[in-house]
Amino acid sequence: MVICSGDDYMDNIVFELNDVYFSYPGKFPALCGIDIRINQGQKISIIGANGSGKSTFLQMLDGLIFADRGRVSFCGQQLNEKIFSDAKFSQEFRRKVGFIFQNSDVQLFCPTVKEDIVFGPLQLGLAKNEIQKRLEKLITTLGILDLLDRSPNQLSIGEKRKVALASTLIIGPNILILDEPTAGLDPSTTRHIIDLLIDENIAGKTIITATHDLHIVEEISDIVYVFGADKKIVKFGQADNILNDTALLTANNLVHIHSHRHKDKEHLHPHVHLDHHADT
Amino acid sequence: MKSNNFIERSIVGALTFLKDSIFAEEVAQGGGFLQSLDPRAKVIGLLLFILQALLTRNISVLFFLYALSLLLVLISKINLGFFLKRTWIFIPLFSLFIALPAIFGPGEPLLIWQILGVKFSVTHQGLDGAMIFVMRVITCVSFVVLLNLTTKHFALLKALRIFKIQQIFIMVLGMCYRYVYLFVGIIQNTYLAIKSRVGIGVQYQRGQNIVAWNIASLWDRSVGLNEEVYKAMLSRGYQGEALAWNDFKIRTRDCMWLFAVVMIIWII
Repeated sequence: MVICSGDDYMDNIVFELNDVYFSYPGKFPALCGIDIRINQGQKISIIGANGSGKSTFLQMLDGLIFADRGRVSFCGQQLNEKIFSDAKFSQEFRRKVGFIFQNSDVQLFCPTVKEDIVFGPLQLGLAKNEIQKRLEKLITTLGILDLLDRSPNQLSIGEKRKVALASTLIIGPNILILDEPTAGLDPSTTRHIIDLLIDENIAGKTIITATHDLHIVEEISDIVYVFGADKKIVKFGQADNILNDTALLTANNLVHIHSHRHKDKEHLHPHVHLDHHADT
Repeated sequence: MKSNNFIERSIVGALTFLKDSIFAEEVAQGGGFLQSLDPRAKVIGLLLFILQALLTRNISVLFFLYALSLLLVLISKINLGFFLKRTWIFIPLFSLFIALPAIFGPGEPLLIWQILGVKFSVTHQGLDGAMIFVMRVITCVSFVVLLNLTTKHFALLKALRIFKIQQIFIMVLGMCYRYVYLFVGIIQNTYLAIKSRVGIGVQYQRGQNIVAWNIASLWDRSVGLNEEVYKAMLSRGYQGEALAWNDFKIRTRDCMWLFAVVMIIWII
């Protein structure tokens, strides 16, 4: 699966961020000096406490906001407002990069599920019969056939998340960016979504996920980046190294100290929700 | 439940809106005759009936068209009592009050009486004019309600494209329709949260402050949502010109319906 093309582009890097800064107007900084390289086919997770800049970072990768300082590049081309005013580049980028928002109510803006799913490929100029073919495949994979004619406001959180996934997957992006894909979901729906992401990665897609759910991090990550309260990358490394660093996770509000009693004795220990990954 | 309490009224109002819209969706999904038609054919057919009702001066034609609307109610499996309640309340009754003075208009007297020396006479022409007016209103309202009840709202919006309405307007209306539900849900939850903390007995001035604060908060949320939704649209390739999926199909049944509509109008 070739994501980046061009005579002078021989590298495997899809996204590269160098010393990136970003602030929302009238607010405190959201990102401070971020350096990241993401290779084609990698699984990347971004973990961090609320307000650490994870969502801002993902929106920057998707070309929805642009760096105040530093450089964000996609396949060697710097992402800025000017390059997105080129309709050809914009369309090509949107075909290659898919973003699933944290709030599904934001992503599902059409009156019916079907209209929402086909919105992306229609805007990107896919042929109607190709859209129909992809739609039929996706509704089988995600089990959402019964939802097609319903309004998004009639769906449960899990159903909305599946439809949001479908609305992005139907575009057929090579890179999937997901903001808290399992937040608020029941275990069965979480499992379904994780399995789907793993399958997409095996098929060659790059998966970039921001999450609080440490249960899923090891499965969906080759490399984990920890964002701190100072909006910088505190540490990055392989999933097991990061997840076993209890001091790091505690310092960054990803675990909490938990107390309980056993036969009149009170125990205090970090509560990581990672029993199947690490002894805590 | 105190009916004069603003918290209760807000919750009940929000719930009624949701209940009504769910019920309307259920009716629109029913397996009746009008529900089975292509929305475009249905819009054209019912609009032709409305036009005929507006243009005719013949009371018999209006009675026939009204009877036809009731027949369509029955074959579309809509509860007749519910339909009559929905169509007769407010607009036709209001028009009845408007039409009342017209019965005393100039013309051949039908009924004459005197009150305190003032002579009143109901005239043939006045009565006919008033009846035509009321029948015209109720017939038009009935066809509009029928269209609304038997068509999903988003399909109705899409069908407006036959009048060459710009896709962007239809898309914006569709999005409004989508997010009204979200905001009604938020209003409902907000007032339940208020109720859980302060109970139902809120002092009038304090109540006004809470309502004002909620309006501002809702406005703030809608502005935030607006920005996020636009980003979601951009992310899926939107470039300022919305393209829509068109899965409407004109079938034999729709052609027969349109043919029947034209024939009825031609005959009457």
